[in-house]
Amino acid sequence: MANRDLTAHVKRIGSQDKIATGILTAIVAVVMALVVAIIAYIIVRGGGRALTPGFLTNTPTDDILPGIVYQLWDSFYLLLVTLVISVPISLGAAIFLVEYAPDNWITSAASTAIETLSSLPSIVVGMFGSLFFVVTLGWGISILAGACALTMFNIPILVRTIQQALEDVPRSQRDAALAMGLTRWETTLNVLLPAAMPAIVTGIVISAGRVFGEAAALIFTAGSAPARLNFANPFNFASPTCPFNIFRPACSLAVYIWRLTSEPTEGSTEIVWGTACVLIVCVLLFNLLARVLGKFLARRLTAE
Amino acid sequence: MTDQTNSNEALLTTRNVTVTYDLTHEALHPTDLSFKGGEVTALIGPSGCGKSTFLRCLNLMNREIPKCRIGGEIFYHGRNINTKSENLFELRKSIGMVFQQPTPFRKSIRENILFAPKKHGRLHGKDDEDELVETSLKQAALWDEVKDKLKQSAHALSGGQQQRLCIARTLAMKPDVVLYDEPCSALDPISTFTIEETIRSIADSGAGICQIIVTHNMEQAGRVSDRTAFFYMGDMVETGTTQQIFSAPKDQRLSDYLTGRFG
Repeated sequence: MANRDLTAHVKRIGSQDKIATGILTAIVAVVMALVVAIIAYIIVRGGGRALTPGFLTNTPTDDILPGIVYQLWDSFYLLLVTLVISVPISLGAAIFLVEYAPDNWITSAASTAIETLSSLPSIVVGMFGSLFFVVTLGWGISILAGACALTMFNIPILVRTIQQALEDVPRSQRDAALAMGLTRWETTLNVLLPAAMPAIVTGIVISAGRVFGEAAALIFTAGSAPARLNFANPFNFASPTCPFNIFRPACSLAVYIWRLTSEPTEGSTEIVWGTACVLIVCVLLFNLLARVLGKFLARRLTAE
Repeated sequence: MTDQTNSNEALLTTRNVTVTYDLTHEALHPTDLSFKGGEVTALIGPSGCGKSTFLRCLNLMNREIPKCRIGGEIFYHGRNINTKSENLFELRKSIGMVFQQPTPFRKSIRENILFAPKKHGRLHGKDDEDELVETSLKQAALWDEVKDKLKQSAHALSGGQQQRLCIARTLAMKPDVVLYDEPCSALDPISTFTIEETIRSIADSGAGICQIIVTHNMEQAGRVSDRTAFFYMGDMVETGTTQQIFSAPKDQRLSDYLTGRFG
């Protein structure tokens, strides 16, 4: 009698397990299908234009085939300036929060503030950036103002990932270093950071992907007017056409898409899809790079 | 044997040492113990009895835990180190510690040994470094196994080898006290045996190093130690030579523990 009950029970939980697995598999399949569909659609619509020779290297004003060379350059340059500003700040904040911050209300208020920053709507950050960096500080519509606005987005993500990476280093490593008479700072610099490095690098590259595609925060800060750059004379830093000048306006790929969509001109649809395709491929590459770099560093640091 | 004269006086003495967690919970009640150079002392007792907590007072590691207070006096070379002005970093250069889990850094075997001495600015030139690596690894009975792969990652070693590397790394600091916090609990019997031999050979080398080992394994205490202290519920119940503790326990709690009635 008891035996039969047991058999029925095993059968019942067996089928419950199957149903649950089936549902979960279906959910994952839907998510994957969505991602693949969006990417495939963009690549199909824009891939042809993106691969046309000249699209990546021509200027937007080219008569035969308008290209996106300025936007591409500006996107990468904005990203670079953003990372140069945001990585040191985030690293410092994360190290402080993990290693030094006393466990009190100020620390938890700081953590909450950082998290709140990550959920601020990007257009609001853009508005703030335009009032503060552009007007109050007098930087004008510029790469620097844009990079500062992007930094405000990037800091919360970076602080979170770096914090997580540092916390994942086993407590015993920290204790071992301290027990050898190293100071907290020496321990952080020589033991914790190297151990956390693969995860930190992965985090930075993934955040770079997000920054790269940001549009709303840039419209009021870095501008949307197509810049005219002079690559032949790159070291005249004061010139508005100097590619490295951080006080000139810039138009990133994402902002360019927004501009062409809101003010369509003849043939702009094709350019929009081509640009979208380039943008999404770049973001995918960032994610791929993050994985490869993370794995490579982890392997190099654990088994030389 | 000039060290023999030193070993007659205590290197490390605790007087009324207590530990309080969260400002209210006294995990260790007043404890008086003293340790001599060249001796191995085992701290035994059931889990949570305060033996590790006591050990972590001796190099003031408990100060790294928030809201943990060490009370009483700890005399090291006759000087009370449980003061606010004590320089923890200087202190820990001469009181080393080996942990429960092997904790090699993500560096090569050689760099694991040299890392701290380099940071403390004690090394001058490559010959100096080579010599320190060799002597420390020999002291920890690891030299023969790793001498051809010093540049390889320490993480590629087995658990027992990693733990001996940690001992070598600690000895490279030239400490006169080494604290072991259950150093064999993550290791297999053969590695455990090698570690015990290492501890014994350090004690018998005449270097005068004072070794204190926390263990939950009574046989281990019997094998490696000269003296033993038994802890129970945060009290240091009984201390004496290892032979006396095991053959003629005075306290009922100790004899109950030894006969396996609890623990």
